[in-house]
Amino acid sequence: MSKGTRASQEESLAAELRLLVRSVEASSRAFFPDSGDELLQTIVEAAARLFGAAASSIALLDEAKGTLQFRVATGAGAAEVVGMSIPVGQGIAGYVVMTGQPLAVSSVDQDPRFARETARKTGYVPRSILAMPLLYGERPIGVIEVLDKIEAASFGMQDMELLGIFARQAAVAIRASLHRQHLAQALLSGLQRLLGEEGGAEESALKQVLDEADKDAEGAAQILALADIFSDLSRAGPAERRACVQILTAFAEYARSRPRLVG
Amino acid sequence: MSEELRPAWSSQFAASALRELIAMGPLGGIDREWAWGGSTGQGVRVAIVDSGIEADHPAVGGQWCGGVIVSYDGRTRTKVRIAEDDEKCDLFGHGTACAGIIHSLAPRAELYSARVLGRDLTGRAMQFAGGLRWAIENGMQVINLSLSTSREEYYGLFHELADQAYFKNVMLVSAANNLPGASYPSLYSSVVSVAAHEGHDPHTYYYNPAPPVEFGAPGIDVQVAWQNGTTMLTTGNSFAAPHMAGIIALIRAKHPQLTPFQVKTVLFSCAANTQPEPQA
Repeated sequence: MSKGTRASQEESLAAELRLLVRSVEASSRAFFPDSGDELLQTIVEAAARLFGAAASSIALLDEAKGTLQFRVATGAGAAEVVGMSIPVGQGIAGYVVMTGQPLAVSSVDQDPRFARETARKTGYVPRSILAMPLLYGERPIGVIEVLDKIEAASFGMQDMELLGIFARQAAVAIRASLHRQHLAQALLSGLQRLLGEEGGAEESALKQVLDEADKDAEGAAQILALADIFSDLSRAGPAERRACVQILTAFAEYARSRPRLVG
Repeated sequence: MSEELRPAWSSQFAASALRELIAMGPLGGIDREWAWGGSTGQGVRVAIVDSGIEADHPAVGGQWCGGVIVSYDGRTRTKVRIAEDDEKCDLFGHGTACAGIIHSLAPRAELYSARVLGRDLTGRAMQFAGGLRWAIENGMQVINLSLSTSREEYYGLFHELADQAYFKNVMLVSAANNLPGASYPSLYSSVVSVAAHEGHDPHTYYYNPAPPVEFGAPGIDVQVAWQNGTTMLTTGNSFAAPHMAGIIALIRAKHPQLTPFQVKTVLFSCAANTQPEPQA
């Protein structure tokens, strides 16, 4: 085989690969609700307003690195805090993610070391903090914080209860978006292996998808079966696809309106 | 605060929900003066299984008497490694907060730290269990657990430890979960499980005749010790538990012969919502 033919084959394979990864991204959006940072951003904005807080943020846990990374924020210090990473072994957010328990504190600015460190990083030192773990089942995946209650010295226990509800919503959004990322990464890694390129870094992504699938084997099998049907239908023709969309829309409406079965 | 906004975990201790209870017969004769009057907690060993204790924090009053650091080690049978705590520090501030509350109630009680929260998240439940086991096996008389696990797979392990503590005459004081849902060991019947009430008098606690949460103690806007010699105002069941641990330390110092179920009976009789049986 000539060098030129091989290079053009590789190029077309690479193009196919990119197409496949994009289509996985697109099709996974069909299975999981759209839930990127935009939804998280609306959650922190709503939390800040509802709790009468000067600021609010969500940080996600990177268990391998042992850090919490601030993903979205609103209010005072927001621009500085987004993207910032802190070790899980310290601070209010660290304690909350470590123990899975919320914590409400005030007069935190009295701790000179805390004040100095925080001011250096964000230019803003809160007086009161309410931090709530984001839980995936029983496993903490991050922290949502509201900072500085405007009309009171501290966050109360009803704030703690309500923020718990926000945290559940945020955790569902994060979970769905993680599923999607893992799926795309796993496909990429599988394809790379087919091409003979060992994708070491992606192995963990593949493993995570497989682990998730293990936890809910029946659900995963059903989703895959659904994907097969979609794939068949996409080849059937525009009229069949339209009919299919109508049937599914009707079923989705029915499913939403009927009482939920337990278990 | 309106009743609708009160979280489930403290609803039993709202003024309107509190039930007046009767201490029958001779139980009515047990009062606070008898239970802990004049006691300082002298000589009682109290372990705080938490994030460590800042030994030189003023709120601890020099009563730090020792401690261990429990870290995860997957190669050992118990999955933990236990080393003397020569750092004498608190990684977060939470353990010092608990120690300070206990010291404020029982100033002569000896405080021991089992630091089970580390710098990473691996093996947290095993570290927690390891710290609790260390405290049970090393002569502690009261163990404060302002920590819990909600992981079902550890239900059995913590139940076994709670039983072991009970049979060894050790009192476990466990904070109830701040979020809806089960947490262990706070749901076991042998422990003193505690949620927060709104009051601020450190000696005022209530008994709940409809457990699992049996006791309500101050835990809302409590001034506590924190990292680096500071203090903060905090809210949570975490801070209610050490109030009960402090009172139990007082009782155990004055009445060392009482076993855990007898101490619980004394606590019931001295609760702010318990009255002696009216005389005929």
